[in-house]
Amino acid sequence: MSAVAVDLETILSSGIRLAAPLAFAACGEYIAERAGTLNVSVEAMMLSAAFGSIAVADLTGSATAGLLAGVLLGVLVGAAHGALSHRWQVNTFVVGLVLNALVLGLTSYLITVGDPGRHQVAQLSVPGLRDLPVLGAPLFVERWPVYLLIALVPLAWWLVERSRWGLELRAVGENPEAADMTGIRVNLRRRQALLWCGALAGLGGAHLAVGEVGSFNQNMTAGRGYLVIAAVIFGGWRLGRTLAGCALFGLADALRLALPALGHTVNSQLLISAPYLLALLAMLMFTTRQRRPGALAQPFGRAP
Amino acid sequence: MAPEPALRLRGITKRYGTVVACDGVDLTLERGEIHGLLGENGAGKSTLMRILLGLETQDSGAIDRDGRTVTIAGPRQAAALGISMVHQHFSLVDPLTVWENVELGRSGPVRRAAARAGVLAAAERYGLAIDPDARVGTLSAGQRQRVELLKCLRRDPAVLILDEPTSVLTQAESAELFTVLRRVVAAEHRAVVLISHKLAEITTVTDRVTVMRAGRVVLRRDTAATTEAELAREMVGREVTLGAAVGVLPRAGAGAAPAASAEAALRLRGLTARPGLDDLNLTVRAGEIVGLYGAEGNGQKSLGDILSGLTVPDAGTVEVAGAPVDLRRAGALSAAGLGIVPEDRHHAGVVLDLSVAQNLVMTRLGDVSGRVFVDRRRLRRRARALADEYGITAASLDTPLRHLSGLGCWSPPSPPAASTWAPSRTCTHACAAARTTAWPCC
Repeated sequence: MSAVAVDLETILSSGIRLAAPLAFAACGEYIAERAGTLNVSVEAMMLSAAFGSIAVADLTGSATAGLLAGVLLGVLVGAAHGALSHRWQVNTFVVGLVLNALVLGLTSYLITVGDPGRHQVAQLSVPGLRDLPVLGAPLFVERWPVYLLIALVPLAWWLVERSRWGLELRAVGENPEAADMTGIRVNLRRRQALLWCGALAGLGGAHLAVGEVGSFNQNMTAGRGYLVIAAVIFGGWRLGRTLAGCALFGLADALRLALPALGHTVNSQLLISAPYLLALLAMLMFTTRQRRPGALAQPFGRAP
Repeated sequence: MAPEPALRLRGITKRYGTVVACDGVDLTLERGEIHGLLGENGAGKSTLMRILLGLETQDSGAIDRDGRTVTIAGPRQAAALGISMVHQHFSLVDPLTVWENVELGRSGPVRRAAARAGVLAAAERYGLAIDPDARVGTLSAGQRQRVELLKCLRRDPAVLILDEPTSVLTQAESAELFTVLRRVVAAEHRAVVLISHKLAEITTVTDRVTVMRAGRVVLRRDTAATTEAELAREMVGREVTLGAAVGVLPRAGAGAAPAASAEAALRLRGLTARPGLDDLNLTVRAGEIVGLYGAEGNGQKSLGDILSGLTVPDAGTVEVAGAPVDLRRAGALSAAGLGIVPEDRHHAGVVLDLSVAQNLVMTRLGDVSGRVFVDRRRLRRRARALADEYGITAASLDTPLRHLSGLGCWSPPSPPAASTWAPSRTCTHACAAARTTAWPCC
């Protein structure tokens, strides 16, 4: 294989690995935002799940149990966010930012208390396909949770676009007053959407820890939650384009890691900011406001 | 024994603070009849219906559905009890399609093909032609009304409530609506409540009529046994000229209106914009009222948007008092002296979360502010003067506009050089004669 093909394969592999946690969380954030709740705490969901997965894996000795614990922790953060902002009507941005700061502080402290070892789920490769040139290794040799995306992406899409729950969810996100008049419980739907978001973002965070890296370090997600929000906006609140955004951010991240190895010297601090700069640029160029859910981030309460 | 009425309200009372919105209201709705509920804005009709839908809870009184006393905790429960309402402000979700909106009111798994077929079948049965795949946001007011009605009827309600259904409809559309209602009542034996303040509608369409005034029922009659004059008198509370009550306003210019001058106050030249405006030329002289007549969707909205400064036309100019206005500058039209009362005041005319006073002075902030700060005392004085001048009745000028019931969502501009008005949603002509409520409102 030529040198270029090898480089391409390396970048593609690490790109997909970096994009996978984003993709899980983006499916969740997509559900939440279609319900009209701008879920800033997706970062907290991912980070707490990343920590929880390693901690539980260390306690039980099973990385898979860690993965499940991550999902549960994500749901827990989602439930907290939902109760605060869609039951007690606290401003959703404040709730999100406070949860993010809280989880960052808690996990940073807890990781210094215990000292969990390395835990990683098994790798799974698809016989035959893994031998394809260039694409084989990146797509068909992965930690097994990645393959869950094959089921979860269509599930998220079906839930929102085809189920009655999703129809009501979209109505709630577009016009909560009309939904309420129709007899849909607006805030309940939004809380449910946040639970889904928590489960999927939790899976994303846990996959980052026990799937891709195998350990937890302080502020491990490092703003990936915000990238996920950016991806949903970039995708114009459509799932396909949102995932394309995740892939783009993942590849940019991979490029950053690969450039020094390929012999290019660029200031590493500057490179770290590259995906975020790219996110800004991408949103500037491709965002359409037309598709934005009509009541995004607007709290709902019945008029007096 | 006669069958129990579909719905019986007994002594419904609802207070908001010191205001009694409904005062011991009794109302009986029989199956197979259209019941007219007549009253001015603020008479308590809407509150009564909000109670029926479970959006409000009565302070005292009871509701019987088919003879059984029920409590209605919310719209979902109202629907389960077979009470369904076509709203004055629509309850449709714009970005969804027609069939999705109709499907929203139902339950069970969503089956696209069956849902579409259901919409088409219902549309056929009631004679309400509609494309099930159209996005609701792209429909005209009349078409949206059809969707709203279909959505209600697909729930198979025993009691169907229509709140001012014709305020957004043309005459032909209104006639079509009433034909459908007749069919609903005669063939399907539902009870229909028609809330309106248009006397002609009430007398031609309904079987029985109840008139409310200041929260009380003041008249209950078979429609055949009453007259428009009697209804108008009961609605307003004293003798009014029938012409004013049924919506025929006194002829413009009959009084002491100044004769139109030769000078053009507003001149539109070659105005072209999407959708619907193609080379429009129009001159409005000082001292005259010019009506623009036409079915909805023929450029009125584009014209309104241009004159509000919301869109810039593709071509053409607007001159106010002889001077051309730079349409790309925000507020230029207002500064030039053009006042506008938008068609949909809730969306475009006012800021519901600001106070009455702030809304009143909003169009002319320069009058009450210096270079940097708003002078609160001048603001209040100016607002008070405007409120007195236009007879705006609100508990306090500091009340957020959102809390005003129906009244007065109309922000009078400072005396304008020219003003446009899309009257399709204005109402209560009787009150223009009676002056009990301030300005007509949605």
